[in-house]
Amino acid sequence: MLSLFVLSLTLSVPLILAALGGLTSERSGVINIGLEGKMLVAACITGLVGMASGNAFVGFLCGSGAAVAMSLLHYLVTQAFRVDHIISGMGLNALAVGLTSVLHKRLTNPDFTDRIPGFPVQVYWVIAGAAVVGIAWYLNRTKGGLRLSAVGNDPDKARQMGVQPTLVRFYALVATGLFCGLAGSLIVTNAGSFTENMTAGKGYIALAALILGGWRPLPALLACILFGFFEALQIQLQGQAILGVDLPSWVWQSLPYFVTIVALAGFLGKNQAPAGLGRP
Amino acid sequence: MKKTPIWGMWLFTVGAFAFVVAILVLVKAVPLETFSGMVTGALGTPGGWRGTLREMTPLLILGAAVFLALKAGLFNIGADGQYTVGALAGVATALAVPGPLGMVLALGAGCLAGALWALPAGLIKAYKGGHEVITTIMMNNIARFLTVALVAGPLRNPAQESATTKILAKESQLPILIQDGPFRLNIALFLGLGIVIGVGIWLRTTVSGYELMATGANKRAAEASGVSVAQTLVKAMTASGLLAGLAGAVHVLAYENRFYADFSPGFGFDALGVALLAASNPFLLIPAALLFGAISQGTSAISILGVPKGLSGVLLGLTILVFAVFRYRKETPHA
Repeated sequence: MLSLFVLSLTLSVPLILAALGGLTSERSGVINIGLEGKMLVAACITGLVGMASGNAFVGFLCGSGAAVAMSLLHYLVTQAFRVDHIISGMGLNALAVGLTSVLHKRLTNPDFTDRIPGFPVQVYWVIAGAAVVGIAWYLNRTKGGLRLSAVGNDPDKARQMGVQPTLVRFYALVATGLFCGLAGSLIVTNAGSFTENMTAGKGYIALAALILGGWRPLPALLACILFGFFEALQIQLQGQAILGVDLPSWVWQSLPYFVTIVALAGFLGKNQAPAGLGRP
Repeated sequence: MKKTPIWGMWLFTVGAFAFVVAILVLVKAVPLETFSGMVTGALGTPGGWRGTLREMTPLLILGAAVFLALKAGLFNIGADGQYTVGALAGVATALAVPGPLGMVLALGAGCLAGALWALPAGLIKAYKGGHEVITTIMMNNIARFLTVALVAGPLRNPAQESATTKILAKESQLPILIQDGPFRLNIALFLGLGIVIGVGIWLRTTVSGYELMATGANKRAAEASGVSVAQTLVKAMTASGLLAGLAGAVHVLAYENRFYADFSPGFGFDALGVALLAASNPFLLIPAALLFGAISQGTSAISILGVPKGLSGVLLGLTILVFAVFRYRKETPHA
């Protein structure tokens, strides 16, 4: 029972970090379905650079830098060129899958059999916990946080009040990149090596957790832990009979995704999006 | 707000191209050789054309599926999952009922499976407001687990080492029309072209097509003029799933002739690019599918040169972004 609890928390940390990345972006009004791609790129670059340099910090820095670069590409395309946010996000995700596949296939050192150097996972736990509290405080208690919400809720009115939506969104998307960088480097550190498409939809699950949490930090955290719990349940209970019923393994594997659908159907709470989501 | 200057878009295009070149240099490929290898590999030989037209076929039908949903204002990212369940349903039916009758039933089963797979996303969007992008992506994952389990279990061919179904008998396969050396042309290509043209005509000439486009253009205006927006959304998503499922069934009956684990190489996502390139004109789906088919076949051809197949993902993503910069800007900042 205790191990299930610990496993739930372990599995929820990447989700929490990614969800926070989604939160800063979406509260500023930028829809971000590209979390997945940013995490994947961060995981790949962290792995490749970490492998080449043997230094956890250098690897993390480059991985996060790549995620921030992806995030700024999203900024450029959605804010400067005012492209539909979902189209941009899908394009970035496709780019990320292809790019990481090419880089991984061609640049991975086949003689390197060690684990990729990384920080101890506890570092990520502390950062994730502190960031949730910090962002909750920042959003509700500081001028910058109120500006962020103002831009996300009504960009036109914010503009009239002298707040530059594009500038606020720039910083918001840099933060998104950093959080996705953390999430990606944690994923590759946990696994020990990079494999193609290793984020396996976690970016989308994090986004669903964000929606389920009503775009607020603490409820989003709880939603992430809930998804982590279902994933842990899947790992621990797969192949065991529950109340005399032996569920096939694909049902267990589908469980986190199924819960996400149920959550989006509004059975686990109401969806309350920022009013200005997707508006220029 | 000031308009983005046109030179900015061209700069973006040049930047995207430079990025591809930089990646190729980084992985120690010669850019010019790579590009010319892709063009010859896709369009320069009879065998290349065979592959390009083969890749193009599901992209035509899936492109029509995604296009249809897009016209109703829906992003059907779930086309990939609907395609996968459609393919499996098609194989299972054609294996159970051999001959021409089985072929027709298999196509029907593909449609049905795809439509059912899309239905929850349509219902959740229409009546609960849950975003279809996330629900359809979740359905994609579930489709993968379910089909892998089925092909590893009840539908598995015990004579094979890997998880795959039995191969369809010759009389259950869609026929090849032209066979000339390495070149093959399957009737499925014309089926795909017919579906694209049919969807185009349907959207432009029928009442239900008009209602669908009105819903996509402006929900409130559509509702005010008597269109049931919720019902239209459900119908559009289901119809999109139906076509995606059909694409899967056609692909197995015409080309693969069996189903195996992790069946789709991401056709559903390529189809989003195809539909975006076609923009507002359904008939442009045909050249768009040809382009993406050629990119796919071209990157397969150059994988012998040591450039990984993932390059097609890079090209696909950048094509979507560059094209979107030119075509999908929001015109007015005021809602």
